[in-house]
Amino acid sequence: MIDKYRWYEKLAIYAGMLVFLTFILAPFVEAFVVSLRPLDQVFRVPYRFITDDMSFSAYVTMWESVPRLGRYIFNSFFISCCVTLLALSCIIPAAYSFSRFSYKGRDGLLGTFLAINMVGSAVLIIPMYKLMLNLGLLNSYFAMVLPGAAFSVPTGIFLMRSYFLRIPKELEEAAHVDGASRIYTLWRVILPVALPGIMVVAITTFISAYAQQFLFALIFNSNSDLHPLPMGLYEFFGRQRIIWNELMAASLVGITPVLLVYIFLQRYIVAGLTAGAVKE
Amino acid sequence: MGQLELSAVTKSFGSAQVIKPTDLTIDEGDFVVFVGPSGCGKSTMLRMIAGLEEITTGTVSIDGTVVNDLPPVKRGISMVFQSYALYPHMDVFENIAFPLRVARMPQAEVDERVTKAANILKLDQRLKHRPGELSGGQRQRVAIGRAIVREPQVFLFDEPLSNLDAALRAEMRVELSRLHNQLGNTMIYVTHDQIEAMTMATKIVVLRDGMIEQVGSPLELFHMPKNKFVAGFIGNPNMNFIEVVCETTTAEGVRVVLPGGGSVTIPVEGQAAAGDKMTLGIRPDDLRAGAAEACLTMAPEVIERLGNQTVLHGNIAGAGQISAVVPGNLPIALDAPMDLGFDGLQAHLFDAQGVALPRRIDLSEMQLPDAAE
Ligand SMILES: Nc1ncnc2c1ncn2[C@@H]1O[C@H](COP(=O)(O)OP(=O)(O)OP(=O)(O)O)[C@@H](O)[C@H]1O
Ligand SMILES: [Mg+2]
Repeated sequence: MIDKYRWYEKLAIYAGMLVFLTFILAPFVEAFVVSLRPLDQVFRVPYRFITDDMSFSAYVTMWESVPRLGRYIFNSFFISCCVTLLALSCIIPAAYSFSRFSYKGRDGLLGTFLAINMVGSAVLIIPMYKLMLNLGLLNSYFAMVLPGAAFSVPTGIFLMRSYFLRIPKELEEAAHVDGASRIYTLWRVILPVALPGIMVVAITTFISAYAQQFLFALIFNSNSDLHPLPMGLYEFFGRQRIIWNELMAASLVGITPVLLVYIFLQRYIVAGLTAGAVKE
Repeated sequence: MGQLELSAVTKSFGSAQVIKPTDLTIDEGDFVVFVGPSGCGKSTMLRMIAGLEEITTGTVSIDGTVVNDLPPVKRGISMVFQSYALYPHMDVFENIAFPLRVARMPQAEVDERVTKAANILKLDQRLKHRPGELSGGQRQRVAIGRAIVREPQVFLFDEPLSNLDAALRAEMRVELSRLHNQLGNTMIYVTHDQIEAMTMATKIVVLRDGMIEQVGSPLELFHMPKNKFVAGFIGNPNMNFIEVVCETTTAEGVRVVLPGGGSVTIPVEGQAAAGDKMTLGIRPDDLRAGAAEACLTMAPEVIERLGNQTVLHGNIAGAGQISAVVPGNLPIALDAPMDLGFDGLQAHLFDAQGVALPRRIDLSEMQLPDAAE
């Protein structure tokens, strides 16, 4: 490709990226640095970035200060997985129907989904509490999984629908001519071809479920055995002091599942999986 | 086996009727080609036969059974799409085997049939490749392979060669004709390339605006077009149309006055009154340089030298644009008026409505029976 940027344009681009990355990554760096310091050195004045007394001891002691930390991390992971699976099982058929069938009220329905999404979960938290109470779902995994899934469905449908729309109609027609039923075609042709799209949706759902669960856990769950990590982190808040270094260490360890899921799933986001399906 | 009949078939999208009432019979073993300009309803017609598009009114029957409400498989057809529509996540073997997998055929038979199809289509070296790794021609052959494994009675092709380059297209044309001879099935083939139509068809159906203009063998359409549209559509370069006036009708045919002042007798059936406005059709290849009884004068404006022949385009006084094909070694000067003669025997004559007056020629003289028969 022709290098079409001048040196000062390049400079501006890199400067922009630097600002952006600093903004995004600085909290992580700071969290990591704090997790390495002894607690009494955390608020040291003057501030020094690198010091001699840094160690990984907080990563060991945190398991003792909050013995159920492992359980909380597992809960977080488990809830997010359930949310992702449940959401996908709604998103895929719904998106398929939105993209392939034409029926009355289809576009209106799609619009409604997005409108609900704009309202957001925080506004609906009290009615949802009533609902859960009536259904007897409070203080269970369900209480955190259901709303999490419900609120990731609209965006998921939208993403997935646009992916399905990109799959040429001829693929289905060809399968139809060859005698395959709709379900068979969906299972053997459409889903494999849509796999990269499904993975994108799975990743975004998983990540947003991981981030969202705090609110739902806080309101709908008081059983501390079922708490996800963000709630569990409160146990580092002692009576007199907050164990900042262990808190940061636990937070960082807590987000590794997200990282792992991402690394695992992104292999399936292979560009050009549809190559060769139809004439370009 | 593979006899197909459309009777009074129409198709409407909303209020627009894109296929006007159509009757058509296709015999077993025919290679039928639908041709026509873009948007004339070729694909729609094919998709109705395939069962991908609902038939608004009328019936389609295959081997005497009305198939209007049957799904494609039950009709005994298979189709090759305008885009290849291969399954990108399956290798060539699985792509070809797909219809058999759907039918839950035992593995041994799947192997046998796919191998057979792959051999016919020379794909045996490519069975483990994904469609993305194949060339355009190979993809096309995979799509054909998927259509032939099921051994249907009728094959439908929708412009299968339109995205291939000229050389590959010529090669695939020969392969498809060979395939047709080998399998002997009925084939229906849509194209807007008239070379494909002329070379492969046993029967050509010319469509315009959802109506069948004429059905016939390639030579029939070429030599005896029923109207100006068919005459202008079949044959390359296109037929020249020249406004003429009828002088008299005799036993030999109709005598017309040419724009240059000369006159020529065209041996056709039918009557025309003196003074009737008519259109004379003459193919560019039937014009030759030099004066003759029937003669036009043209000053070439564009000269296309193809080597073996030269194509000339220019105007004749008072009668518009015409083209002529002359031998490649003939010296020609741009803008220098030259005489182009022709033989009344080669000309076509159309009345004011564009309907052809039947020519007095015998097509059976142009073909010998096949040696095998
Ligand atoms: N789904 C549809 N809804 C409305 N009109 C349609 C639809 N499909 C086709 N048409 C119309 O029907 C007419 C015939 O279309 P068709 O695709 O059969 O043309 P075609 O002869 O195959 O043309 P091409 O050579 O460009 O492929 C066109 O005027 C088109 O606009
Ligand atoms: Mg078409």
